[in-house]
Amino acid sequence: MMPPHPRRPRSAYAAVALLALLLIGPTACGDGEPAATGTVETVTVTVAGGTVSPAPSRIEVTRGQTVRITATSDVADMVHVHGYDRSVTLQPGVAGTVEFVADRDGLFEVETHGQDLQLFQLVVR
Amino acid sequence: MWLAHGVGGRQDLPIPFGLALTGALVALVVSFVALGALWREPRLGTGTEPPRPLPAPVQRVASARAWPWLCRLVGLVVAAYVGLGFAGPDTADNPTAGVVYVLFWVGLLPLSLLFGPVWRALNPLRTLHLLACLALRRDPSRGLRDLPSGLGYWPAAGGLFAFVWLELVAPHRVSLPVIGGWLGGYAVAMLAGAVVYGSRWFDRGDAFEVYSAVVGRLAVLARRRDGTLVRRHPLDGIAGLRPAPGLVAFVVVLLGSTMYDSLSNAPIWVRVLQSGAAPAPLLGTIGLALVCALVLAAYLGATGLAGRFGGRPVRECAGELAHSIVPIAVGYLVAHYFTLFVLEGQRTLALLADPLGTGADWLGTGSWTVRALGTSPAGTALLQVTVIVLGHVFGTVLAHDRALRLFDRRTAVVGQLPLLALMVVYTTAGLLLLFAA
Repeated sequence: MMPPHPRRPRSAYAAVALLALLLIGPTACGDGEPAATGTVETVTVTVAGGTVSPAPSRIEVTRGQTVRITATSDVADMVHVHGYDRSVTLQPGVAGTVEFVADRDGLFEVETHGQDLQLFQLVVR
Repeated sequence: MWLAHGVGGRQDLPIPFGLALTGALVALVVSFVALGALWREPRLGTGTEPPRPLPAPVQRVASARAWPWLCRLVGLVVAAYVGLGFAGPDTADNPTAGVVYVLFWVGLLPLSLLFGPVWRALNPLRTLHLLACLALRRDPSRGLRDLPSGLGYWPAAGGLFAFVWLELVAPHRVSLPVIGGWLGGYAVAMLAGAVVYGSRWFDRGDAFEVYSAVVGRLAVLARRRDGTLVRRHPLDGIAGLRPAPGLVAFVVVLLGSTMYDSLSNAPIWVRVLQSGAAPAPLLGTIGLALVCALVLAAYLGATGLAGRFGGRPVRECAGELAHSIVPIAVGYLVAHYFTLFVLEGQRTLALLADPLGTGADWLGTGSWTVRALGTSPAGTALLQVTVIVLGHVFGTVLAHDRALRLFDRRTAVVGQLPLLALMVVYTTAGLLLLFAA
């Protein structure tokens, strides 16, 4: 049998938790106001034979920046920007363009909805 | 035509590297502090600090006979209402996917953390079985045969894997036929299990009841065996989760699937899925199974080493320490799903007002617009790292306490080293995924 214990040092892990918060806290508060820039981020994507080129990656923009996506596909398809709910219908071999101001921060997938291919991920900070 | 989206339109930004690093360092420091400075005798779940009953007026209200039936009725009515969505148009404005993946699956976590095993009280399948038994004048707890003791949590672990596969891998997983087919199959399997083994089947076989019960052990509120409502320490609650066959598998799938969810978002994995080397669902299934297998291998390796150092059977250690992974999994689930729950949850509640797509506003929520409610990128990143580190702290304390019980005085410290290493690996992997994926 275990000897009886008067009290568990509850304060011990409360203190540890607090320490964790304090240590982490200051590092997260470095974000300032996003500076909206006048430049346009242009992204060109081609889909051929079920392959996306350039291969899917992350494209970072600043909040407030304009994003212009030009996509060409060898089959009829539709490009959809998640979160912003913007889309453009693609005719085979004809470039389609969708343009919008990236005014919400977050990570958004840009996909085609016919072939279900991810074109790239838009990172808005 | 508009199938492949609806849930998760916006995702969290990757957390800053400095924050991930700080979190990992804190986890490391906490581990060594735990080893050196925490108590030297097992204290959790020993009854040294018995749960305190809530005040008598609260007890009287909580013990009212009507509660169980009220909960069952709520479960049935909500399930029936949600079922209406299957009669609506299969578009992005159909609430069903959001209800299943966000309100139900993610929402079950905070509900269980607050109130304990809530799904046992609400589960409409359990209620249907109970009603059928009452109509046939049969004892619901008696089935055609006894529940085999070796079965343990294995059916629930299988059910959980099937659900996370639906959530993370299945093609067209937000479309009504896929969700409906899965739920229909699951309901048939659960009701068949209940017919064969009686209502106890749900306690061990229903993935959602087991999830709610396992996570609900971290709730401060609990019911004692005699029905008294008590306030207990969350660590005492989770330390009471006893080993059973399949428990390790269940906990590993819980943690592994959430890690795969992060990983599958990384561009490198997207490239693999779209490479055309094999059908994407097959690659996704392999990836999900592989991440779970890695989490399991790390777990078995560490608990095996701990057993060898501490002089205890390896199998016993694996089962005895499974509970310490639960807070780590919970921390990771909260980090992963917090903003999804807040943002998509609001959107789903708005869509739920009009499940048939007729322009109705039955719940009065139809005009809601999604509000940020404190989900700023900096705040979210801070919250994510904090809950992961908190999960690590809880896990470390639980493993420390259990090691003291399993191992004798001389081997307790060295026996803990592999466990600490395991937790640091899980936590760092989680932080790394939040940073890179």
